[in-house]
Amino acid sequence: MSFDFSLIWDSLPLLLAGAGVTIEITIIAVGFGFILGLIISICRLSSVKILKILAVCYINIIRGTPMLVQIFLIYFALPMIIGERINPFVAAVAACSINSGAYVSEIFRAGIQSVDKGQMEAGRSLGLSWMQTMRYVILPQAFKHVIPPLGNEFIAMTKETSLVSVIGFEELTRRGQLIIAKTYGSFEIWLTVAAIYLVMTLSIAQLVSFLERRFATDDRN
Amino acid sequence: MIEIKGLKKSFGKHDVLNGIDLTIHDKEVVVIIGPSGSGKSTILRCINYLEQPTAGEIIVDGISMGDAKSINNIRKEVGMVFQRFNLFPHMTVLENIVLSPMKTRNESRKEAEGIAIQLLEKVGLEDKKTAYPETLSGGQQQRVAIARALAMKPKFMLFDEPTSALDPEMVREVLDVIQNLAKEGMAMAIVTHEMGFAREVADRVLFIDEGVIREEGKPDDIFFHPKEERTKLFLSKIL
Repeated sequence: MSFDFSLIWDSLPLLLAGAGVTIEITIIAVGFGFILGLIISICRLSSVKILKILAVCYINIIRGTPMLVQIFLIYFALPMIIGERINPFVAAVAACSINSGAYVSEIFRAGIQSVDKGQMEAGRSLGLSWMQTMRYVILPQAFKHVIPPLGNEFIAMTKETSLVSVIGFEELTRRGQLIIAKTYGSFEIWLTVAAIYLVMTLSIAQLVSFLERRFATDDRN
Repeated sequence: MIEIKGLKKSFGKHDVLNGIDLTIHDKEVVVIIGPSGSGKSTILRCINYLEQPTAGEIIVDGISMGDAKSINNIRKEVGMVFQRFNLFPHMTVLENIVLSPMKTRNESRKEAEGIAIQLLEKVGLEDKKTAYPETLSGGQQQRVAIARALAMKPKFMLFDEPTSALDPEMVREVLDVIQNLAKEGMAMAIVTHEMGFAREVADRVLFIDEGVIREEGKPDDIFFHPKEERTKLFLSKIL
């Protein structure tokens, strides 16, 4: 077997463009996932029973089914209901965001519950509502605890976006497949693709530990 | 005036309060004593609905517990100080104090900070306004917690073992603040194990055991001439 370096060199621009798309979709998905997760975790912890039930259902369904199947459902099954094709980008972002939201909500729930119970009691005893206490007292403290697990979720999502290649959305993995279809350079291309993912995930890990240090010192006076 | 009628509270099968009737008048200082697990703290926690009473009625200044709105109204009338201070660790002393006045009373920051600084002067901590709670001693934290509760301009103050989590040398500074409040005519209910303090500050002492008021009366009567066997036994163990 011969290893063709020039193939890697020639494919790199296309692959890096694909990596750009991967980063884009990851950031959007984690961004929506963050908002969705925050809302769901608050519903999950609220005393309104119906919200709680809905949140638990959402989390269980999303975590209990493969993301690949969720992507198929959104891209292939949903158009049958709404009678309209869905743009692969929209489908990819929707699937990743909905998936991420379930995991992020559990991260937030753990973060919120890690804040001492006395904080909620103190807020309530001062006449703040549950929501006000959440917003001004509990969440600012919880955010610090959730940075490391959120970083993990970000890394996991970076890798999982490769699944949207199955609906033909041209992110990094799909670009790799397309190049291999033309050049048959499986070994070189997959190795390069793997290396690019690794660089991305390691960079995120660095960023997360930087944020962690920042917030750890912010705590003190 | 706080009126408590037939207050009962159970946690699952465990009955903590078995029918408490108690009226706290304006300007009155009521000290609640009793063995641990007797339900002392639970009474305070029911007054501002941190615990939902199982049965009975609590009327604070004519406001009876009804919907969520009246709960929040009651909480604005009743300040609470906790055993473990419960200051907000991510905020400075000043921010701790102004948060609720600004959010629930729509006070401007300037107005709220003005009041906060007056209150800090009152508890002797005006130089700590920009400090974070973790840099303060326990006694200082508890005094900030008292100032924070007072910023809501409550008519009543509830103290739930305010000195139990403190090192011995810091107990006095907190008790002095409470005593000054009593002199100013603040109505309060205090759960404490500091019997000397209870004698000094109380208008009335309640002895609670197994979820009922066993005995109540003037401090000297309770401490020196208790009538009930239970009270005598309890006092003999701690005095």
